Amino acid sequence: MNRKNFITKSGIALGGGILAPYILPSGRLFAKTGTLKADHVVLVMFAGGVRQQESVLGRYLEDSQGVSGAAGNIMPNLFEGNSPTKKIAYGTSVVGKPNGSEPIPKLLTNSLERSGLLFPEMRAQSAGHYVGLNTLLTGNAGTNQGLKVRPAYPTIFEYLRKHAGLKATDTWFIGNGIGNSTPLLNSSNHQDYGLAYGGNMFAAPVTFSNAGKEILGNAKTYSRSDLEPMYHMKNFLDQSFALTKDQISSVSNTDEEKSQIKDFIKSVFTKQQSGQLAMPPVTDNGDALNVMYAAEVLKEFKPKMLAVNISGVDSCHSNFTGYLQSLHRADHITGWLWQYIQNNIPQMSGNTIFIVAPECGRNLTPNPILDQNDWVAYDHSDANALRVWGLMAGKGVPSLRVGGESQPVGRLTDIVPTIADVFGILDDVKAAGLIDPLAQSLYNRI
Amino acid sequence: MHNFKLSLILITMFTLGGCTKERNIEFGVDEARVLEDKSRKTKKKNDAEFVSILYTNLYQTAISPNQLYKTQNVVYSIGDQDVANEMLLSNYFNTSGLTIPKDTDMRNDIESFVVNTFKRFYLRYPSEGEKAFFGQYIKTNPNVTVEMVYTAFACSEEYQYY
Repeated sequence: MNRKNFITKSGIALGGGILAPYILPSGRLFAKTGTLKADHVVLVMFAGGVRQQESVLGRYLEDSQGVSGAAGNIMPNLFEGNSPTKKIAYGTSVVGKPNGSEPIPKLLTNSLERSGLLFPEMRAQSAGHYVGLNTLLTGNAGTNQGLKVRPAYPTIFEYLRKHAGLKATDTWFIGNGIGNSTPLLNSSNHQDYGLAYGGNMFAAPVTFSNAGKEILGNAKTYSRSDLEPMYHMKNFLDQSFALTKDQISSVSNTDEEKSQIKDFIKSVFTKQQSGQLAMPPVTDNGDALNVMYAAEVLKEFKPKMLAVNISGVDSCHSNFTGYLQSLHRADHITGWLWQYIQNNIPQMSGNTIFIVAPECGRNLTPNPILDQNDWVAYDHSDANALRVWGLMAGKGVPSLRVGGESQPVGRLTDIVPTIADVFGILDDVKAAGLIDPLAQSLYNRI
Repeated sequence: MHNFKLSLILITMFTLGGCTKERNIEFGVDEARVLEDKSRKTKKKNDAEFVSILYTNLYQTAISPNQLYKTQNVVYSIGDQDVANEMLLSNYFNTSGLTIPKDTDMRNDIESFVVNTFKRFYLRYPSEGEKAFFGQYIKTNPNVTVEMVYTAFACSEEYQYY
């Protein structure tokens, strides 16, 4: 080899050695940053099947129970509109007054509708919970999605980790329990993506329950010098038992990320003990607890992408009063979460886009089940259950209302391309060919 | 009468002639070590199996159904199963009642400790390479404890399979 060849080849080898560690899993050298719209996205998966009539349309009891003059908005943090004045049953209960007669005071000075972008009439692709949640996270209509299996198509967590090079603790799914396949939503089982790119997940009300405290709360806090030999020996053992890609059964964090997660879990138990967990003013249901833990995750990890699931309004199958109360509380805790980000997480304040959308709607016609107020209940299976809305607020989001009851604009499958658009990877996600062909970024629906 | 005597003699002769001495037959069975083979571990333990086996391994007694149910749910509620299992294990190590060797026992006979640890967790003997690695690592790192070695094994990929 002559001198020139030697220098050329050495230069290439040196350059490759320097660059190789920075090549993203997708093969790209740098994550796209040119069109980054914000550094963080928080998605609230709201909230277990929400009828248009009692939410964005502000009809309260007028449409559902035929009570004349009982229209009004019971979601003041999300939508504009005056509160109902008749038959108030959606609030909290005060001694000496009828059950639920005290509405929760509004938290946000301006509703998310006023400060952001509202699509009041979107279309869901399914009237079911799990497929609906899948749709929100995969951008695929999920018509062949089974229960008790991971999403068939990649989730937004996987797209972000693969194409934007995010680390595992940059992406979080906070599920509201371990039922209904919820813990499976942090990753698909798609062969080109999967758990290797999955997001972190807590089914927070279980992780941080009394049982969780009993089983995890007494764990030792190992020092770095304790952990190093353990991981060294474990890594040696794992090298000789290499798993194939399809055998990976868990999200993979780095050793540092694992330590951070373990410390976080312990810190939550400590805060629980000392009453230091930040929580919404009204915290009387499971959804509120889940949002409270989501706020803790946001504060600790400042993730690029966090999705939190709430589902209390599904009580509407048999208890319309309970549904109204849960809907009012879902509005309250969603407003609180947005406020918490603005006031308590400076790294995310002013640099976050907040998205709120139901996974499905509910029926137009009721089932025959009556509750304590003799109000009928609603399931979710007809065309009305495909009517939903979507809200966006935060950095650079225009204050607009796009579409209306007679002019639907947007699909639930739009949420994933919208988030991809925020992070500048929309082209990669589209090129993967795994989202609904009709889906678009909501920015392009304006 | 003559025919009767003849018949009796013949019956006696046939009966005695038909008898043979009973023989004791023993089959020679070679002793065999029935142990797991790493390459044959292809089935992943489910959450209940993992927790139950781990608990029995450490406490040498079965976990109660109620405790198993609670533990399974909590482990399932965490996305990173390594984190969940490491915390579960660390929690166990912070309790009394564990049946594990003392650190001095490990130091006194490292080779036996390594072999027994492989048998205890992996149900197999270590390869020469594995024996050499652990022997050397424990010997040259005086801060390594039984707890650390057990944690490494219990959290390893192979322990997730059977």
